[in-house]
Amino acid sequence: MLGYTLRRLVLLIPVFLAVSVIIFAIIHLIPGDPVDSLMKVGSGPEQRAIITARYGLDRPLYEQYFIWLGKLLSGDLGTAIVAKRPVLDLVLQALPHSLALSGLALLFSTVLGIGLGVVAALNRDTLLDQTIMGGVLLGSTVPSFWLGLLLILAFSVQLGWFPVSGARGWSSIVLPVLTIGLGGMALVARVTRVAMIEASQRDFVMLLHAKGMPPMRIQLRHVLRHALIPVVTILSLRIGWVLGGAVTVEVVFARPGLGTLLIKALNQHDYPVVQAALLMLAMAVMLGTLLGDILQAAMDPRVRAAMQ
Amino acid sequence: MTISFRKAVLASGVSLVALILAAPMVFAQDAIFVLQQDEVGVPTYNIVATGNTNVGALLIYDTLTVQDADQSFHPGLASSWVEAPDGMSWEFTLKTGVKFHNGEPFNAAAAAVWLALYAATDNSYMTASIEKIEAVGESTLKLSMKNPDPNLLYNLSSSFMGVVEPKAFAALGENYGVTEAVGTGPYRMESFTIGSETVLVRNDEYTWGSALAANKGPAKIAKITLREIPEESTAFLELKTGGVDMLLGVPTDFLTELAKEPNIVSLTLPGQEVVYMPFNVTKAPFDDINVRHAAALAVNQQEILDSVYGGVGSVANQFLISALPESKVAPEYLISYDPVKAAALLDEAGWKMGADGVRAKDGVPLSVTLWTQSDSVFRRLTEVVQAEFKAVGIASEITTFDSSMIRDQYKTGEQQAAVRSYYWNNADIVDLFFGGDRLGYPNVSMFNDPKAEELRVKAMSGSANGAERITNFIAYHEYVLSQFPMAPIYQPVQNIGYNKDRLVLPAEIHGTRIGAATVLDMTVTE
Repeated sequence: MLGYTLRRLVLLIPVFLAVSVIIFAIIHLIPGDPVDSLMKVGSGPEQRAIITARYGLDRPLYEQYFIWLGKLLSGDLGTAIVAKRPVLDLVLQALPHSLALSGLALLFSTVLGIGLGVVAALNRDTLLDQTIMGGVLLGSTVPSFWLGLLLILAFSVQLGWFPVSGARGWSSIVLPVLTIGLGGMALVARVTRVAMIEASQRDFVMLLHAKGMPPMRIQLRHVLRHALIPVVTILSLRIGWVLGGAVTVEVVFARPGLGTLLIKALNQHDYPVVQAALLMLAMAVMLGTLLGDILQAAMDPRVRAAMQ
Repeated sequence: MTISFRKAVLASGVSLVALILAAPMVFAQDAIFVLQQDEVGVPTYNIVATGNTNVGALLIYDTLTVQDADQSFHPGLASSWVEAPDGMSWEFTLKTGVKFHNGEPFNAAAAAVWLALYAATDNSYMTASIEKIEAVGESTLKLSMKNPDPNLLYNLSSSFMGVVEPKAFAALGENYGVTEAVGTGPYRMESFTIGSETVLVRNDEYTWGSALAANKGPAKIAKITLREIPEESTAFLELKTGGVDMLLGVPTDFLTELAKEPNIVSLTLPGQEVVYMPFNVTKAPFDDINVRHAAALAVNQQEILDSVYGGVGSVANQFLISALPESKVAPEYLISYDPVKAAALLDEAGWKMGADGVRAKDGVPLSVTLWTQSDSVFRRLTEVVQAEFKAVGIASEITTFDSSMIRDQYKTGEQQAAVRSYYWNNADIVDLFFGGDRLGYPNVSMFNDPKAEELRVKAMSGSANGAERITNFIAYHEYVLSQFPMAPIYQPVQNIGYNKDRLVLPAEIHGTRIGAATVLDMTVTE
């Protein structure tokens, strides 16, 4: 396992470099530059030359890339052009909020998704099964922007149970978590249901039934364990999506986070911030995938055998 | 009881009453304001170097002068000033007894150091006309000018020219304005989370409010939280549920909803924005002045005011906000809806009406593209303009761009006409948007006219005093209008919504926006 993990970590390096090139290239291919955001009413064209030189934007692109990469490898994410702050400060300010929101949303969608998937599988082809699957499908198709506002109207405006927006106190995170979690629950529930049904048809399950083990115990202790393997894969892929895709939720609920930071920086063409935020998200996907693979190996002896 | 004892008791009682009366009136009151959309995401309160600021800067810092809604200037930290007759020097008498939040005294020496800070920043243009800064004694600041600058008072009243404490500015370096911001304002910065909120606490030693405030200080509200809510619906719901006390910018679309709330008051202040349609004078068909003139007259400003903006605001007939004296151009230069004249002009230009309702000339249909940003109000507005163009035989196609991309599109010079707006309350906006050295953006009209340039130079740097500046700018403005590089459309107002069960505002709002003068006079209902 250790060897496998180390090998996978080493393989991340070329992936990381390739991603960094792609991110750098894409941002600089977008028309416009951050100097516009710094140019104000009344300032003349000569200001452009001064500002451009100040931030090294007059250098060749490849030179800018290597300067950025060099600083990155030494832990320096650069200075935000518009905010004039170390990018690391901006990211560290936003990251805890994103991690809290994404982590709780992932936990919510995982627990609820698995639970509903299990219930649906155990009541396969019944009205309950169809209701659950229909419900989670509806939840996943409703746009998060609209869902968020609906939840605000219901739980904040009508019932007054939770604040409308902000990031103060535990109560302010409930509705954002619900918004993201309800949307992500569908995939988990569906995968769990299908995996449970498939695993239930295995020979070992028939053997357990023959041995007289209670059916519910078979399902929850043995079948579910097998069903969780593909679910873990799905969840590991969702980590990056939840972290970056929370931007609409952050906007609706006026919460700070990586998504909001990224959107603002994109609008202002603040290259260092965009690069750092995109790199964070890319690394979250890479590490999430790695974690999923490691967990899968831990849970599935067939994967461990294949490693050897 | 002996006489001496009674006297002692009486003296104690009097002393106690005196102490109570002498103690500052401390109100344990908090208020939460929501910043307007274009102030969300301000990265710092380092106003010397930044390009963006918000209302928090007006509360943390004082300026030497303050501007009222009628564009007049009044004492701020400067109690009076004298401009030399030739405009080549200014002498400001500063208020005494003023202290920065960190206890350092505000005086002429500090003001001189502060002013000099701008030279090395992106805001250097604000002090570019100053040759020399001298502190004369404790409270006299003398400025020697490179050239007369009648716009100096305007610059000094700008939120970018709040007086920062020089020692703290130097000591904090990059962190200035983020972890700490030291001014002389009625509020101190307690905390600042970029993109989220700023918490301000009352400066209890503040007693030097500007001439615009009835209460010279301290403020009555103990703590103000400025929240940044990018989504307008969320901000509205926060006000509705009592989560916040005031929205500093309410979109026109929400005014009807706000009116339904019994505890919400909608307040209107004069606007500082103009919505207009620039024509690219270098690109057919708008390279023909008659076509530009006709297109400008085809725009029904009143219809747009009523249908798009619900009657809130006023029509625009020239390029500047109507509060500016430079907007008072001669009546013949005002641009107003006149479809009959528009049709006549197009006929004269050779564009004959076709059977399909679109004019044509030499077989070429009169068809243009209208650019605008992908904002719901701008899209709606541009659709109305499209219909009004059609009514006079001009076909048009709308192209929308994201607001972050549209400036770069303008720089290509490919636009024919656009629907856009600017937010500024000074006549030098004519220079910015029609200056010949700014083609593409901000000169979306690509307007580069020799006579306009001559008038521009005279207006911008050839005026010896304020009156002369107004005259020169009116001349420049009139000439630009006469060439029809744009069509004026609409003047929005500032809409503010607040909870009247929580906030009591002064009867009269001074200043160009909600700022220190208003907040000083504001109270929270317990």
